[in-house]
Amino acid sequence: MNDRMMLEIRHFSKSYGGGKKAADDVTIQVACGDIYGFIGHNGAGKSTTIRAVVGVLDFTDGEIYIDGHSVRDEPMACKRVTAYIPDNPDLYENLTGIQYLNFVADVFGISPGEREERIRKYAGLFEITDALGDLIGSYSHGMKQKVAIISALIHNPKLLVLDEPFVGLDPKASFTLKEIMREMCGQGTAVFFSTHVLDVAEKLCNRVAIIKQGRIVAAGTMEELTEGHSLEETFLEADRDET
Amino acid sequence: MKRNFLLMKTLLLSTSQRNIYRYSKDSKKRKKIMFGYVGVFCLYAMLIGYSAAICVGYGTYGMIESAPVLCALTISALSFVFTFFKTNGYLFNFKEYDMLMALPFEARTVAACKFAYMYVKSLPWYLCIALAMMAGYGYYARPSAAVYPLWILLSAFLPVIPMLGAAFLGFLIARISAGFRKTKIVQTVLTFAFIIFCFSLRYIIEDLFRNDKVQATLETTAEMTGGAAKIYLPAGWFCDAVTKFSLSGILLLVGVSLLLFAVLFYLVGKSYRQINSAMKSHTAAKNYKMTGLKQRSVVFSVAFKEWKRLTGSTTYLTNGAMGELLAVLLGVVTLLIGFDRIVSVVTQGAPIDPTILRPAIPLITYFLLGMVATTACSPSLEGKNYWIIQSLPIEKKTVYQGKMLFNLMLTVPFMIFTNLCLCISAKAPVLDTVLYLILGLALCAFSTAWGCVCGIRHMRLDWENEIEVIKQGAAVAVYMLPNMFVVMGLIVLVVFLGTRMDQKVVTLSLTLIAAVLALLSYRRVMILSRRS
Repeated sequence: MNDRMMLEIRHFSKSYGGGKKAADDVTIQVACGDIYGFIGHNGAGKSTTIRAVVGVLDFTDGEIYIDGHSVRDEPMACKRVTAYIPDNPDLYENLTGIQYLNFVADVFGISPGEREERIRKYAGLFEITDALGDLIGSYSHGMKQKVAIISALIHNPKLLVLDEPFVGLDPKASFTLKEIMREMCGQGTAVFFSTHVLDVAEKLCNRVAIIKQGRIVAAGTMEELTEGHSLEETFLEADRDET
Repeated sequence: MKRNFLLMKTLLLSTSQRNIYRYSKDSKKRKKIMFGYVGVFCLYAMLIGYSAAICVGYGTYGMIESAPVLCALTISALSFVFTFFKTNGYLFNFKEYDMLMALPFEARTVAACKFAYMYVKSLPWYLCIALAMMAGYGYYARPSAAVYPLWILLSAFLPVIPMLGAAFLGFLIARISAGFRKTKIVQTVLTFAFIIFCFSLRYIIEDLFRNDKVQATLETTAEMTGGAAKIYLPAGWFCDAVTKFSLSGILLLVGVSLLLFAVLFYLVGKSYRQINSAMKSHTAAKNYKMTGLKQRSVVFSVAFKEWKRLTGSTTYLTNGAMGELLAVLLGVVTLLIGFDRIVSVVTQGAPIDPTILRPAIPLITYFLLGMVATTACSPSLEGKNYWIIQSLPIEKKTVYQGKMLFNLMLTVPFMIFTNLCLCISAKAPVLDTVLYLILGLALCAFSTAWGCVCGIRHMRLDWENEIEVIKQGAAVAVYMLPNMFVVMGLIVLVVFLGTRMDQKVVTLSLTLIAAVLALLSYRRVMILSRRS
């Protein structure tokens, strides 16, 4: 871990069509080497924030910086160093797994040698090598999730953004993903992910933010936040306080 | 540029049936793809035959010089209309938007590639028209050999300007709608408003041609085509390029196409994220109060679900309810202008007694309402949600009954309204009016059940974009094309028979046939629902 900020969300707000705010004055800082957990109820504003971070969702209030670049003004510079894994990956179903991975590698300009090495490594870890020649449409949800993860890791991103990454993964794949996240953090990559699974967040993250009805109700290092209690107790207490 | 080609290549590959054929292990699926190819080639052949027949007509009557302009106008009109209906589904709010936008692509690159994809996919259809007309022109006009490569090359540019025009309108509608809370409703209303405007514009232009001095110069069809080329300049450029080898014609057609492409996607790129964000988001009021929940029968529940599906998608609504909108327009216009006057306009003042056309009233209404049956595409529209139906304790036949009930609920009120308007305007006797309404009911029932047969037989759940099953699906093509041609033939037949025997007998006979066909189709649905 070092102090260089990889992701800075400053006073980000987003409301849909004049309705209630999905995100309200969200401020988060993720440093290089952080594994930052973003937790909250369903509909609390996690996915809205994440989609704005990765440049998919348009926003007007607040600022988001990735590696010092503004998501709004320099989206390409941000996207080049970021990888995003959505909660329900919509991949091209009529491509084979390897065709899709090749497409993403081409987009990031990865050399044939490097892409082969990384695909071999991660497909091996997720035990999906044999299925890469099949159409994605024939994959199970978990297999699609694995392909999405491999495609996210193929360009060695500086910031890894994951929305509910463990949903649909088998226990072994979940373990592998956690190991990969730790390994990447060790190399200085920042990981920012949303989850409902508090146990995972507690064991994996060094920093956490709790979001409720679009507002950050608690944020900090795991130790600061839990003060000796479990993350579950802390989360429920934050939830009660706000209510 | 390399990235643009990469994205373009991937978009084409991701919807390529060849790729599925190559990698799928499902022999049934592979067979279906082969049949699909055969079907598409049959349609290409039909289009080539139709375009060649037009050229033969022009050649026979010594008007072959108009063929280049006619070719340009036909391709332009078709590409404009089809693109306008497809823009919303292809350019905005598509399924893989999040995945693509999270990759290092500029917003305008994604939009431009989506447009280029739409262009490449529709190009074979336009080339069929162009090649057939080129062959006809070559046969009758005996031009120099240089015409052919130029014709082929420039034909590829002909659809670009109208497609860009349609995409720009789609973009404007989407841009305006994105500023409203109920984005989809505003978008649908604006789309329908534009379609109505186009129809009125057509009459205004026709009126202009009829009333002012231009009429004197438009004595023949050939001159009329030439007149149209003066209004729509790209058609004139194309004509000049292929007939006079005009360099300015070539440069204008190619240059303006490329320039407009660059300008449009510069503009679209600027608000692309904003439009898609608005379209992909749903307003959350979070103030719902649970009061008075009602219990419906399963069939009604399925019908209600279908209603929400239709109104929840601008693409589906503008395609699925187009016939209903046109039927209402026809009814209102006929009431305002008068049946006799409309007949006089359509027959261009030929001395025809309007009463002999009365038996055609329910068929004219059906021609519009039966153009699209929601039952033809709704089984495929279940897509990835198909598991819901499969896992629920309901029989498939109940699901299809619900889908058919919805189509009837959608078409029957419009059928009654339009038929009544036409009957009142045509001063049809009460008994005739009742018979026309009964025939209308039988036709709606047939359309619903036959659409459902096509929908089940050609069900496709693995689509990437709903346009693929709403507009381009095999089920819709198999339902729509024969239906349209048969109705056109029937209109002529009932008018002819009505002059030879009692019109009521003709209507009753047709009602009986339609009812039997509806019953047979319904039985087929029940059989297919047991099998599928």
